Amino acid sequence: MARSMLIITRHSPWSGTSAREALDVVLAGGAFELPLGLLFLDDGVFQLISPQHPSSIQQKDLTANLQALSLFGIDELYASNRSLAERGIAADSLSLPVKIMQDDELTALIKRYDHVITI
Amino acid sequence: MATLHLVSHSPFTDSRLASCLRLLDSDDALLLMGDAVYALCNGTSFREELESLAASISVFALTEDLQARDLTQTLPIRVKSIGYPEFVKLSCHYLRINSWL
Amino acid sequence: MKSLLVEGKLIQLDPEGYLQSLDDWSESIASALAQGEGLILQPEHWEILLLLREFYQEFQLSPATRPLVKYVALKLGTDKGNSLHLNRLFKGTPAKLAAKLAGLPKPSNCL
Repeated sequence: MARSMLIITRHSPWSGTSAREALDVVLAGGAFELPLGLLFLDDGVFQLISPQHPSSIQQKDLTANLQALSLFGIDELYASNRSLAERGIAADSLSLPVKIMQDDELTALIKRYDHVITI
Repeated sequence: MATLHLVSHSPFTDSRLASCLRLLDSDDALLLMGDAVYALCNGTSFREELESLAASISVFALTEDLQARDLTQTLPIRVKSIGYPEFVKLSCHYLRINSWL
Repeated sequence: MKSLLVEGKLIQLDPEGYLQSLDDWSESIASALAQGEGLILQPEHWEILLLLREFYQEFQLSPATRPLVKYVALKLGTDKGNSLHLNRLFKGTPAKLAAKLAGLPKPSNCL
């Protein structure tokens, strides 16, 4: 049986290549039909804000890419309630249907997966 | 079903260690390496937090990184200093490894 | 640098034959690219190519096979959104070949 994997993405779309690398891991895993989860933690929750205007700094639109997740078979999406609250982001303003979780739920979430990658 | 967490960034510039500490389970382990060993500096809140973690959580620090930063003398009792061979053993012992890259 | 001459215009291609710029695309370029692959484009090819360009507009990336199949099924129904149909149309490698003919970059998650 395929081993499951949780990818924890914890950088904003604009701090280097980390957010994109995390998404690439997820999309590649999805193409192989691996059971995957994606957790937005720390500044990673900034990826969920919509709209963003990447062309003003000559970057590609990560938000648009993220909308393709369900077509890649990635439906297990999570975000840290604490990370959202710390950054003043309202739960109903997010661009993806993430499940919002408290710290203790996240601890349990990690244990459900065979592998964890934090990027 | 425990996880070994690897953290290598200084807690004073970055939130990796803080976030990791919040998500630690009672049977998890934490290995500090690189600049993350600065969390063990005397008189810091991170050192206090590490010292007050549940006894069931093992905390390790990589000896060479402690030595390089002159932190071997002041290590808290609950933190075990380990070398690379033990690091490898630990990696095999835990079910999953979460590297906070 | 590879290139393709279509209707007197020189189109830049990457080393694997994908268009350098999405905006260069036209139907005659698609036909010329298809010819290079030994393919004559029929209406059933065109509807997939146009859909792929919509996909790229929406998501800013080229789909791997599985999401391509899902997207086609979503938009055109499962008669067309299945790997058998898409494999038949695009010589067994729909994600790569259809992306190339639609002027999209090579799908990066298609290993």
